[in-house]
Amino acid sequence: MDMKKIISSTIVFSVLTVSSITAVQATYSSPEVQAVSDETVTVYSSRKEHLIKPLFEAFTKDTGIKVEYLTGKGGALIERLKLEGDNTQADMFMTVDAGNLWYAGSQDLFQSVQTETIKSNIPVHLRDPKGLWTGLSVRARTIVYSTDRVKEQDLSTYANLATDQWKDRLCLRTSKKVYSKSLVASMIYNQGEDKTGDIISGWVNNLSATPNAKDSHVMNSILAGQCDVGIVNTYYFGRLIAKTPDSPLKLFWANQDTTGVHVNVSGAGVTKHASNKEGAVQLLEWLSSAKAQVIYGSLNKEYPANQKVASDDVVSEWGSFKQDEMNLSQAGLLQARAVRLMQIKGYR
Amino acid sequence: MLSVTNLSITYKNTQVLNDFNLSLKHGDILALLGDSGSGKSSALRFIAGLDTVTSGSIELDGKALSSNGSHLIPAESRGVGMVFQDYALFPHMNIEKNISFGLVAQPKVKQRARVTELLALIGLEGIEKKYPHQLSGGEQQRVALARALAPAPNLLLLDEPFSSLDKNHRDQLVLQVRSILKKAQVTSILVTHDETEADSFADVVGIINNKQLTFK
Amino acid sequence: MLKEKCIKSKIWISFIALLVAMPIFVVAFSWAMPEHELWAHFSENILSGLISSTLVLLLGVGVGVMLLGTVLAYLVVMVEFPGGKWLEWALFLPFAIPAYVLAFVYLGVFDYSGYAQVWMREALDLPGFDVRAGSWAIILTFVLVFYPYVYMMTRASFKRQKLNMIEAGRLLGASPLRVFFQVSLPLARPAVAAGVLVTLMETLADFGVVSLFNYDTFTTAIYSAWGDFRSIEVAAQLASLLVLVAFLLIYFEKKSRGQAKYYSSDVTNKKPYQATGLTAWLISLFVFGVFMLSFAMPMLQLVIWGWSSVADEWSAKYFDLIASTSILTISAALITVMLATFLALPSQCKKASIWLKSVIRLATLGYALPGSVMAVGLLYGINQISIINIHFGGESINHIIYGSITLLLFAYVSRFMAIAYSSIEASAQQIKPVFTQSARLLGASRLRLIWQVYLPMMTPGILAGGLLVAVDVMKELPATYLLRPFGWDTLAIQTYELSAEGLYERAAVPALIMVVFGALLMAVFQYLDKKSSRTS
Repeated sequence: MDMKKIISSTIVFSVLTVSSITAVQATYSSPEVQAVSDETVTVYSSRKEHLIKPLFEAFTKDTGIKVEYLTGKGGALIERLKLEGDNTQADMFMTVDAGNLWYAGSQDLFQSVQTETIKSNIPVHLRDPKGLWTGLSVRARTIVYSTDRVKEQDLSTYANLATDQWKDRLCLRTSKKVYSKSLVASMIYNQGEDKTGDIISGWVNNLSATPNAKDSHVMNSILAGQCDVGIVNTYYFGRLIAKTPDSPLKLFWANQDTTGVHVNVSGAGVTKHASNKEGAVQLLEWLSSAKAQVIYGSLNKEYPANQKVASDDVVSEWGSFKQDEMNLSQAGLLQARAVRLMQIKGYR
Repeated sequence: MLSVTNLSITYKNTQVLNDFNLSLKHGDILALLGDSGSGKSSALRFIAGLDTVTSGSIELDGKALSSNGSHLIPAESRGVGMVFQDYALFPHMNIEKNISFGLVAQPKVKQRARVTELLALIGLEGIEKKYPHQLSGGEQQRVALARALAPAPNLLLLDEPFSSLDKNHRDQLVLQVRSILKKAQVTSILVTHDETEADSFADVVGIINNKQLTFK
Repeated sequence: MLKEKCIKSKIWISFIALLVAMPIFVVAFSWAMPEHELWAHFSENILSGLISSTLVLLLGVGVGVMLLGTVLAYLVVMVEFPGGKWLEWALFLPFAIPAYVLAFVYLGVFDYSGYAQVWMREALDLPGFDVRAGSWAIILTFVLVFYPYVYMMTRASFKRQKLNMIEAGRLLGASPLRVFFQVSLPLARPAVAAGVLVTLMETLADFGVVSLFNYDTFTTAIYSAWGDFRSIEVAAQLASLLVLVAFLLIYFEKKSRGQAKYYSSDVTNKKPYQATGLTAWLISLFVFGVFMLSFAMPMLQLVIWGWSSVADEWSAKYFDLIASTSILTISAALITVMLATFLALPSQCKKASIWLKSVIRLATLGYALPGSVMAVGLLYGINQISIINIHFGGESINHIIYGSITLLLFAYVSRFMAIAYSSIEASAQQIKPVFTQSARLLGASRLRLIWQVYLPMMTPGILAGGLLVAVDVMKELPATYLLRPFGWDTLAIQTYELSAEGLYERAAVPALIMVVFGALLMAVFQYLDKKSSRTS
């Protein structure tokens, strides 16, 4: 019987693999550990690694402070922070969507940071009133349309997409994504729940396809002719145009005669139990600085939160627009109601 | 009437059987006696249509079943029954379902009647709803025989069916099975390595020795 | 005497099983905190729709994997056809591709804007259609993703089937189809059931594929309760219902087996059927088609994507990713398999004890929990232990456990115990009591019995279980994402992060490495499997 041989060779094999791999890992990670100073800021982030790594590297270069980070899903990271309590390693929590930031604040995970630098860099409506979190980049969610099949003068507001002329011509992203939730939350804030409910019903009625998982799919569907209009975040449009500049797609700024385009932020806050508060504050201030804001804009085609910084060239080409000035914490407050409404109206 | 002509078997480059010829009349019972590795089981499996061999032809009741070592009619349509050394009863079916497995073409009522008839023949009335693992070895072997007989095969092959039974049971069962087969008038071939068993079971005893078949 | 021995094994088995089942308890205890308002909204507005769409999905996927998995296994084990030998192994490969990766490739090809539909509209002038509407497309996707579970387990069982059962069937005039449905399939039933069960639990817990298709299942409600309504309690309560469903599925399967016994013999490599002529080529075409659709086509797409972006994406960081993935995969698989083998060993004590059977069952239910619910359940569980410890004057253990690799391994073991256990138990069930009795009568001690009789006979199940767990751990995303310590990013995380941003070309690089890694594991398995079938 060869069972023993099999078991023992398996064990030997795995021990060898594990140890050789650990050795490889050690040799690869050791040079990075040799940072200029020993000081480290630890960040939990729901922004993906490739979007934050260049920023943190630039920060380390400027200040000598090393940044350690752990990416994850917003809701899950908040849960982890809550449970870790004062044992947490995180000095900063970084996430997208005002709703997530507001919720982390409401769960007592942040401490107030209101330095002069931040106050002068970031406008007040993009910051938490109590200074718990700071918006660092702005993304607009607006209408995108096929230049082949839609005339610009037929477009006006988000609500207009619920009217009969768009029957079987509309594509939307799933209601499960925070950006859809915050948009609907802003509509509830501006127009009330009843009116918003009617608009959602109209949207659902006009859909020509099951709501898409991603904004990029919405635009692909328009390009393929499955639908003619949709609602997307501007930076997804930016990425698509960067790849295929000739796409017959254009952005339309919604609600210019009424409340303005719905905007959202990505942002960060210093955690309540930060062990390196000074470092974290320094990082936050640096992220709001002109230098970092330019990187933000060019990395992801977003709008800078710092109004003194000009938009990225590509982004500027789309023109300027009127923003919805609703205080962003409202989006957080109203999100649960928005979801409930979408679920009732059958917006998947 | 069964005739096997020019059967040769080679495995792993060694010839074990050379120019084996055999002919049996309807209702004959033959025993093939030989040591293990003598090719007797392979010959049986060739006749059943389960394995192919180097060369050889089979004809049963005027129909050519195999020629030149390969099969003209596949195992499922030869009308040849087989009883295996370890019975090969289906463990997930009760006795009734086991015996009637080969009778699907017939209506349910007829199937049931045939099962009852066969259980009476093997002397095991009333066990229709039992499962194989609830029977003794000898009982399982008799059920296996009933199952093989159920579709009324033209030829029955028995591959060392008694070897896993104890001596007392075996002697008794050998005679029982012989009388059952005689009653049913089925042409049969038994493969065994036990000479006494062969003598008491068969009308004719063939011995495979040194690649050749001789009759006793 | 038996009783005394049983106390010891009872304590050990209970301890291990209950530890593994910890997240289940946490989830069950959530009922202590009722939230009527949210439940009212759910049950009034979405629950009935979700339940019916979940049932449709389970039914479709269950029947689909059962048919595809068993037919493929039967063909490669029982029938000789051109290409059968390498297809037997090639059919394992799709298992190395994470479900959501396959889903985004399929959507990239078959969605309205995908190549296939564009070609259909332009070249064939056919109308386009919304592939994500209804449930057939997502069912097909799940079937192609998960059939290897059924295939793998059933194949092992067919290999151990007595050849003469099939021969007996044939000589009684049964056609190959009838032999398949009435002899081979019923005899392989424990394995088929185990494979289907694992598939159904995986489908219930899936979030990636359903969100790409935007298909609402019960899991959608769990994430909505947690993500939208910030109620981890209701999420846990809903999750506990999933566990209940899994429990009922297992219970009814066991119950319906009734009196029949399923023992089998040694591995045979002889194939009872030789397909010839047109039939042989049709079989080849079918099996090859499944392989193309479930592996070659997605791989080709990944390679095209990966080729165009490997220069941007590849960096020294990948050595870290590969290292972390390997260490986690191998250690989790070893631990899970060891514990599962311990739990699955045949024993007199177990046979007599309903308690032991129940706790072991409990330990395998974690598979029905979505990964992130399982992860949070673990965090809560550890926190409770700390609270109790502090209450008795001790210290919190949170800072030791949180963010450590122990916690992550714990999560893997809890989540994947079901796969290892069902595979190992299926092989343990094939050990006839006579072996135990005869070994006992020869004076073998329990240890010798285990080492020389049980383990060798359970080897195929142990190997299959270990491989399944390893590949599953490699692909695992939600629990790893939440629980991993700093610096323990895996290939699955990298794939997810890039694909979540729509960067499919770059996501193809880590995805491809994962597939290669999975294929390597499969090769090791193949080697061991061949060896064990030769020696047993």
